[in-house]
Amino acid sequence: MSKGEIIAGFLAPHPPHLVYGENPPQNEPRSRGGWEPLRWAYERARASLERLQPDVLLVHSPHWITQLGHHFLGVPELRGKSVDPIFPNLFRYDFALDVDVELAEACCAEARAGGLVAKMMRNPNFRVDYGTITTLHMIRPQWDIPVVGISANNSPYYLSTAEGLGEMAILGEATRRAIEKTGRRAVLLASNTLCHWHFHEEPAIPEDMSQEHPQSYAGYLWDMRIIDLLRQGRTREVFEILPQFIEEAFAEVKSGAFTWMFSAMGYPEIPGELHGYGTVIGTGNAVMEWDLTRAA
Amino acid sequence: MPLVAAFLVPGSPLHYLRPDVAPWAPLARAHTRAAAALAAARPDVLIVYSTQWIAVLDELWQLRPRVQGLHVDENWYDFGDLPFDMRIDTELASACIAASAQIGVRSKGVDYDGFPIDTGTIVANGFLNPDGRMPLVIAANNVYHDWQRTEHLGALAAAQAERLARRYALIGVGGLSGTIFREEIDLETDRIASAADDSANRELLEALTGADGTQLRTACAEYAGKVRADMGLKHLAFVLGGLGSRYAGATTLGYGPSYGSGAAVIEFKVSGQTGRRGEA
Repeated sequence: MSKGEIIAGFLAPHPPHLVYGENPPQNEPRSRGGWEPLRWAYERARASLERLQPDVLLVHSPHWITQLGHHFLGVPELRGKSVDPIFPNLFRYDFALDVDVELAEACCAEARAGGLVAKMMRNPNFRVDYGTITTLHMIRPQWDIPVVGISANNSPYYLSTAEGLGEMAILGEATRRAIEKTGRRAVLLASNTLCHWHFHEEPAIPEDMSQEHPQSYAGYLWDMRIIDLLRQGRTREVFEILPQFIEEAFAEVKSGAFTWMFSAMGYPEIPGELHGYGTVIGTGNAVMEWDLTRAA
Repeated sequence: MPLVAAFLVPGSPLHYLRPDVAPWAPLARAHTRAAAALAAARPDVLIVYSTQWIAVLDELWQLRPRVQGLHVDENWYDFGDLPFDMRIDTELASACIAASAQIGVRSKGVDYDGFPIDTGTIVANGFLNPDGRMPLVIAANNVYHDWQRTEHLGALAAAQAERLARRYALIGVGGLSGTIFREEIDLETDRIASAADDSANRELLEALTGADGTQLRTACAEYAGKVRADMGLKHLAFVLGGLGSRYAGATTLGYGPSYGSGAAVIEFKVSGQTGRRGEA
């Protein structure tokens, strides 16, 4: 078996509004569009993914929250209906996904070897969270690439941000080792929003884009600062200011996916490609790509 | 007297799915006693507030006449599935939604097939209403609502139940101290995570037995400063809001650990009631 590698990573946020705006057959509610700049950003990301031809997609989602360790989907096929508990009016999605259980088990084993508490989720009736599904749908609506789903352990919230993100960094290293040992060509998906300040009421017409804008100007400025650094490949600086960003912009990257992905990729100092940025109920969302095959 | 009973229950699936585990058995038995007391009170409807149903936009109320399905807890999936079948008192839920503007809260109903009912509500209903005979009103925990607003929400639900002449019970679903063990443990050795948490929990339970609402609220605020209180004890705020001046103390039917966190089954005394239904 040849040594596996991470070929790319994407910042791939999961507002269910994007699925709602697209009107795929799997989603029950119908819309008149909305959030086009972000959806078109995902179209660019989809084209990149098509070119990359990975064996597997790994997604770390903040909406599968676990308390006792880091969990991995461990059932070969999972299907069902996922209804978003926050936006049930927008997201009622019939999903069916194939899990790369061998890789998931390898990730779990490596996480344990790295000193983390890690578990395989083997219950076939488990309902996959809407964050995982939204990110996967938006990046690959064909659902023809096996996935590894990873929970967000609540350590950054339960412990301290530093301790929690420290665990995520270990998880990222473990993920990389597992990918290398199993010979996969893997793409990582960090399912995170940036600034997470949001409106507290939904417009009567959810897709009325006249109501959509950053909830916080300060949060918007933070997003632009982070994106600008990422576009320049100044990864180290991003991680130096990440705690402040999290604190001041209520950034969802606190939940760990962003740190997990960059740790797995080895914190590359390469320019990220911004496919697009937009707000969803006021939160800041960037679709970005780090193509490690071009950097090699 | 329409308010016929009020309880706090933990909502953890551990005691429900594994009552055979020795440290969890007392809480399972306490639920059985609570269920008997509740049945004896003969409510028309259970008004349930669970800290585990998280809302972010608006206050949400379940509006589907019948919700049924199979739930798997995202943490404790190893312990088994949670089938559920609940009837909803949609008239009362709709009344709560309509009235909530009076307390400055925007409410919304949810009526969707497959909507994820939270573990806490399913467990509470499974323990207290095992045959599904009693319909429910289920209110979400909006994370941006504070203690006071949650009390107002409980009062609002109680007022609407009385306006519609329901005999009703208030059920607050949530835990006490929230510090859990973060590594695998031998279940038979489960205990409250620290002596300090245990002590604070017992002080809170002692404060609940008194009939002084003001003192209790002070004790709750102090408690929240000492332990990682589950959602700031908003499930208690909801019940106290619904009880209002009828709060006359409480009886702890059971107290114990839930993977390190604190859990208790508590039956409230409602002033004006005759006799005592539960037992310590």
